[in-house]
Amino acid sequence: METAVLQVFRYDPEKDQAPYYKEYEVPVEGTLLNALLYIKDNLDPTLAFRAFCRSEVCGSCSMKVNGKTKLACKTPMKELVETWKGKPLRIEPLNHMKVIKDLVVDIDKPIEKMKTLIPWLVPDPRVVPTDPMHESIIYPEEMEAYKDQIHCMLCFSCYSACEAVADNERYRGPFAFSKAYRFQVDRRDIETAKEKRIRYAISGGLWSCVQCQKCLYVCPKGVKPAEDIQNLRGQAVKKGFTDKPGAKKLKHFVDWIYATGQINRLYLPEEVYGNKEAREKLTKAYTEMGVEVWEVPKPTKGLMKFRDIYLEILSKEDKALDLDYSHVRKIDKMVSDIFKADICTIVDKAHEEGRSSRGLISKLKGLLGGQ
Amino acid sequence: MVKVGFYQGCCFQGQDAHMFETMKEMFKRIDVDVVLLEETTCCGGNTIDEENRKLSYAINARNIALAEKEGLDMLVSCNTCYMVIAKAKRALDTNKKLRDEINELLKEEGLEYKGTSKIYHLLDFFRDVVGYEKIKQAVKRPLKGWKVAAYYGCHVLYPKEIAVDNSDNPSSLQEILKALGAEVIDDYEGKDACCGYHSFFTDKSMTLKKLNRILGGVKKVGADIVATPCPLCFKSFDIYQTNMENPPRVPSSFLPEIMAYAFGIDKDKSGLSHHLIKVEKE
Repeated sequence: METAVLQVFRYDPEKDQAPYYKEYEVPVEGTLLNALLYIKDNLDPTLAFRAFCRSEVCGSCSMKVNGKTKLACKTPMKELVETWKGKPLRIEPLNHMKVIKDLVVDIDKPIEKMKTLIPWLVPDPRVVPTDPMHESIIYPEEMEAYKDQIHCMLCFSCYSACEAVADNERYRGPFAFSKAYRFQVDRRDIETAKEKRIRYAISGGLWSCVQCQKCLYVCPKGVKPAEDIQNLRGQAVKKGFTDKPGAKKLKHFVDWIYATGQINRLYLPEEVYGNKEAREKLTKAYTEMGVEVWEVPKPTKGLMKFRDIYLEILSKEDKALDLDYSHVRKIDKMVSDIFKADICTIVDKAHEEGRSSRGLISKLKGLLGGQ
Repeated sequence: MVKVGFYQGCCFQGQDAHMFETMKEMFKRIDVDVVLLEETTCCGGNTIDEENRKLSYAINARNIALAEKEGLDMLVSCNTCYMVIAKAKRALDTNKKLRDEINELLKEEGLEYKGTSKIYHLLDFFRDVVGYEKIKQAVKRPLKGWKVAAYYGCHVLYPKEIAVDNSDNPSSLQEILKALGAEVIDDYEGKDACCGYHSFFTDKSMTLKKLNRILGGVKKVGADIVATPCPLCFKSFDIYQTNMENPPRVPSSFLPEIMAYAFGIDKDKSGLSHHLIKVEKE
């Protein structure tokens, strides 16, 4: 029978000075959970881990294999052996939670953090009948909006793999935002609760998610927390929470892409922080690197048709007014000053300001033609 | 000669136009003709999705349709552009209603999303289209004695649906670096951490902590340089590193640069000279 070696994290805080790893030879058969049960039944009854349903429903048996978060009952041993090409498999408890014993971690903290985002229904009396004898109907098309999120079984895989949790203690955790979002799109939930959830979500690190997509990867149930977080950010801006740098970054993207087909990485810091310093610093960095600095991106060919498509989608989604037209006009002017101005004026202006005009010509060579 | 449509995004134009020149020159040495898809726009940077997901799908349906119009597959270098465009492709290929709705709009520009072009990232393009052997043969200046730390970045490995390699234990980057003659280091602290590029404006301290973990890890194992196929991870390493309180000053390389150098293109043209943290290694 084919076997593999599991190096299992062992630690009993009441007895052990420090964690250690113990090796067990297990059959390459069934799932990782089968292997752990094999150890418990045949090799070492002292090993502690959480498991219950063995069928991807209870979410108890989440752990790390060579640093990667896995639900043990969903992970075939064969797949692990193939992935790691015969290397030993190091089995460890989830990240960011205190170890109670061996592979068992204390989940209280993430649960409490989740509760701060009101992951429950606050019924709107205009929608939900107050008489308990009356049904509160949900239509299938309404369910569409949160059909994935309701499958979260609190396995904490995403919490363990999360890049934001790793470096920001306050961050609530991917699953917590998905749980919150689920009620944000529930018609029965009252508007005041939706507003509060956004406020608390922002306070709990909504804009700190780095969108690494690891939560999508590790979720055994197909929940997409990073995408729910994007949706919550959109809701935050829509509800008027526009002061955070993240909201300003979004505005930069929406306006500049419409205006030019591109973002402007040189102006992004200035528009996010509201000061010129950031742009100057970046310009200096580019100069130091010996590369030519472009003030604005060259507008994409076919820009007007592109704008049409862009605006049409926004209109259809009832979001056309999210474009800041005065900002767009300003961008248009900047672009036209640079790309459409008389080339003689541009060069002379640079000389007047005591700047070198070197680089300007090559930047504009597309307009002049030739090489 | 293989011909492929190159999607530039924001990383290969303006002040970064030289990175495209490097790329083009490097690809010539392995018989790939990289055609710039000029009319494409920003992919939305995974940020437009916050405004409206359908807008992100539409922008990228248009981008892909432009490659399809040329009858070319699309090559993307930036991990984030790749992820966003590949996700859009998946949505369009699996949701006919969405595809029809967006195609109705694209018609105005004489475009149609058909789903005929493949989307490649650098890594799977090198592995599946070019082949490691071809890369090896193009090497004129083997990176002998270079200890290179391999760093993938997130958006080529996650989510699984769009991953270009085994998400848990990828190997393509190591194989490419090995073909260049480098000594590859793929086990160091922080190798799986996110580079923090996307949180620089929203949670700067987080970005700096991540850089500290990754670059600190690279330094600890004694690597000369860290190489990544993603231009954003590269920018995080080279530019944002200088925002750290005590920058470890670890040099980094955008993968095509170090390849260009190994293919015999001179250091200045390879782009390796245009870094804030200088690449001293010769």
